[in-house]
Amino acid sequence: MSQTFSGDSGVAEAVKSSDLHPGTGAAFNADDFEPAVRINRFQGLSRPSLSYWSDAWMRPKKNRKATVSLAMVVFLALFTLVGPFLWRIDPSAQDMARISEGPTFAKTAVVIDEAASWTAPELSGIPAAPTASAENLLAPATLEADGVPSSQAVRLKWAPVTGASAYAVYRSETKPSGKVGTSELGVPIGEVDAGNKVGYEDTFNLERSEYFYSIVPKNGEEASKFTTLRVVLPSTIALSAAQALKSDIKVGETLHLSAHPFGTDYLGRDLLSRLMSGARVSLFIGFFAPLVMIFLGIVIGGAAGYTGGRTDNLLMAFADFVLALPFLLFMILFKIAFGVGAGESGIFPMLVAMVILSWPSSARLVRGQILQLRESEFVMASKLLGARPIYLLFRHLLPNTMGVILVSLTFAIPSAIFTEAFLSFIGMGVAPPTPSWGSMCNDGIQTFLTHPHEFLFPAIFISITVLSFNLLGDGLRDALDPRMRSTS
Amino acid sequence: MNNQNSSTPGSTLPKGILEIRNLKKHFEVSKGSFLHAVDGITLSIGKNEVVGLVGESGCGKSTLGRTLVGLYDKSSGEVVYQGEKLPSRYASSDFKKYSREIQMIFQDPYSSLNPRMTVREIIAEGPMIHKLWKSDEVNEKVGFWLKRVGLSADHMSRYAHEFSGGQRQRIGIARALALEPKVIICDEPISALDVSVQAQVVNLLGELKRTMGLTLLFIAHDLSMVRYVSDRMAVMYLGSMVEVGPANEVYFRPLHPYTQSLIASNPEPDPEKERSRTHTVLKGEIPSPINLKPGCRFAGRCPKAMTVCQSVDPVFREVKPGHSTACHLYA
Ligand SMILES: Nc1ncnc2c1ncn2[C@@H]1O[C@H](COP(=O)(O)OP(=O)(O)OP(=O)(O)O)[C@@H](O)[C@H]1O
Ligand SMILES: [Mg+2]
Repeated sequence: MSQTFSGDSGVAEAVKSSDLHPGTGAAFNADDFEPAVRINRFQGLSRPSLSYWSDAWMRPKKNRKATVSLAMVVFLALFTLVGPFLWRIDPSAQDMARISEGPTFAKTAVVIDEAASWTAPELSGIPAAPTASAENLLAPATLEADGVPSSQAVRLKWAPVTGASAYAVYRSETKPSGKVGTSELGVPIGEVDAGNKVGYEDTFNLERSEYFYSIVPKNGEEASKFTTLRVVLPSTIALSAAQALKSDIKVGETLHLSAHPFGTDYLGRDLLSRLMSGARVSLFIGFFAPLVMIFLGIVIGGAAGYTGGRTDNLLMAFADFVLALPFLLFMILFKIAFGVGAGESGIFPMLVAMVILSWPSSARLVRGQILQLRESEFVMASKLLGARPIYLLFRHLLPNTMGVILVSLTFAIPSAIFTEAFLSFIGMGVAPPTPSWGSMCNDGIQTFLTHPHEFLFPAIFISITVLSFNLLGDGLRDALDPRMRSTS
Repeated sequence: MNNQNSSTPGSTLPKGILEIRNLKKHFEVSKGSFLHAVDGITLSIGKNEVVGLVGESGCGKSTLGRTLVGLYDKSSGEVVYQGEKLPSRYASSDFKKYSREIQMIFQDPYSSLNPRMTVREIIAEGPMIHKLWKSDEVNEKVGFWLKRVGLSADHMSRYAHEFSGGQRQRIGIARALALEPKVIICDEPISALDVSVQAQVVNLLGELKRTMGLTLLFIAHDLSMVRYVSDRMAVMYLGSMVEVGPANEVYFRPLHPYTQSLIASNPEPDPEKERSRTHTVLKGEIPSPINLKPGCRFAGRCPKAMTVCQSVDPVFREVKPGHSTACHLYA
């Protein structure tokens, strides 16, 4: 073996000087090997040592993904816990005047008096039934809205046309070009049957914010000339409703309405405050179920793995049995067993069902890990040093299963959030009026085509939460694994 | 038959500190079929003596070591430590009781240190379990043992993975030494290391033996290294002892054909001689240690096999003073 070394290295000298040839029978002593001892050489490289947790803290800071997801989780926690104190809108307060409204930030409304009646103005100097022929009739010289138009009432007023005995009123959603005659004016919504009556009230419940009204003078037949008015409907609020918000408000004044940054749902409830209180339910289940489940998993898996033998076989057979149970069926059975009716919120039975049916996967993981670690040499060494089983379990076995437990938890939190959402979505979990992200999705899906925000916002919250917990778990696993400790 | 005394050379050595009598360890690999990992080992280790144990990979050296310290239950036979019979099945209190007497250095420097513990925690583990060290002297004591095994005291707050294989092996040695045991089973403490580090560890163990009065069972592959460190050498083949004797005797005048071929296959350090030498390679397969047939285990591969070897188990007997073997050639 000595021929492979170059002559000037200390190792080669050591081998050369101490003749290992068996034939000589020379006795060796430790001094023969001394030149090879260069202990301090490869200890020159060193870095200041960090404690376990400070190092664990350093690493996710370097990992951008983990940092972003940590920020997200902190944001979610604040959103859920602090949000309701900042955004003080009652999540169950309904506002039927503002249902399925998209996101609004600074909304104002003009106060109108919906009770007041209106009569069309009648002019005295003009004959009610003149005799000009329909072709010679001119278009009304003016056309204007009387008062503040609202979705409840649009009041029109125009200048009389000499020779007209009646006026036809049309309403269109698009602007007429004025070239094709009266056929493009839209829906004929009414007729005024006197030439001196120059007003009309449209009390149809309007939905759009912009309409085109056209007035066509008539004398037996409709004239070919007409006048069109573009009416923009401002948002209005009835006087009685306005006075409930602000007592000294008068008709015609503008009122600042509460903003709904995320819009409202089909009952006019504020979506943001519902998302906040829904987060409480969703995250509570999303944390509580996995934590209890992992705890059960550690206890049962740890017991099975550590004791081994008969106990292990029994526990794992039981775990297999539980794993084979159908989840939905058991969900229904649990609801019945807990006496939860069809429309009631069954948060507790849902939690119990989720924990009882999901511990086997983590128990198996922990058990496998413990079984493997139990045979490892460092556990044997500790046993030889006189360690008791409890000490072995808590000092050696469980800390080394931490990685597996964390990974398991990483997957369990988003999956529990998802399960809750799914169950609430199909009506098996949290029932109205208690909001949860899943039941909000369920409400929103019905109006998805017309008001997508009602579905999208809770769905986005579910996705972001699931994603950030996954990323955080990833980062956490890297951070707590000493084998991944950076050497830089 | 009085094997435990026959393997002690002469009467100069005191009665063995560790007496192994017909020790067996069988693993049940499937129902009714047993793997005879250790199959009737008898060996006496004297106080302050270094016994080298050699044998092919898989012959049961580690199993013997682990059975000796109680990590494996004994299938049969007994181990007597300083006149006291060790339990055949250790309870956790037995481990505590004997942990300050017999310790072990493990074969694999990578899996024998808990990755979640710092070097300080690893080395202080035993003394802390036994409440030997006060918490304010831990740093000082750990530093002492680290220096003793050639590491620096600054290393104590690092984790095991931050060390090289040789440095880890030293940490393992320091862990075993910190309880100041009387006997240490060294399970191939050097086979994972390169030659220069091997020399360091061997010198370290030799020095510790002298200064602390240790008794070592030194398990290894490398015959010349075993001869260098040990007073006596024991050769194992397929779970049983084939030859025990003074290290130089066994190395230069081996009795058993297996030992002879083992030593012949050991390369010579002189390249001239090594090149001109004819290598005799052992022919045949190592028999399976499961459900062994009667007769000498080595018979199938033995160049000097006789008809008697196929059917009769050879008796382990003293052939020369202090030099015993299990072979029909010397019957
Ligand atoms: N826990 C176990 N269960 C079943 N068989 C085992 C067990 N441990 C070891 N064996 C078997 O016992 C035999 C001896 O193994 P052992 O580890 O003692 O060998 P060894 O001499 O130390 O080998 P090496 O030099 O490679 O370390 C092998 O055939 C091995 O497969
Ligand atoms: Mg081994």
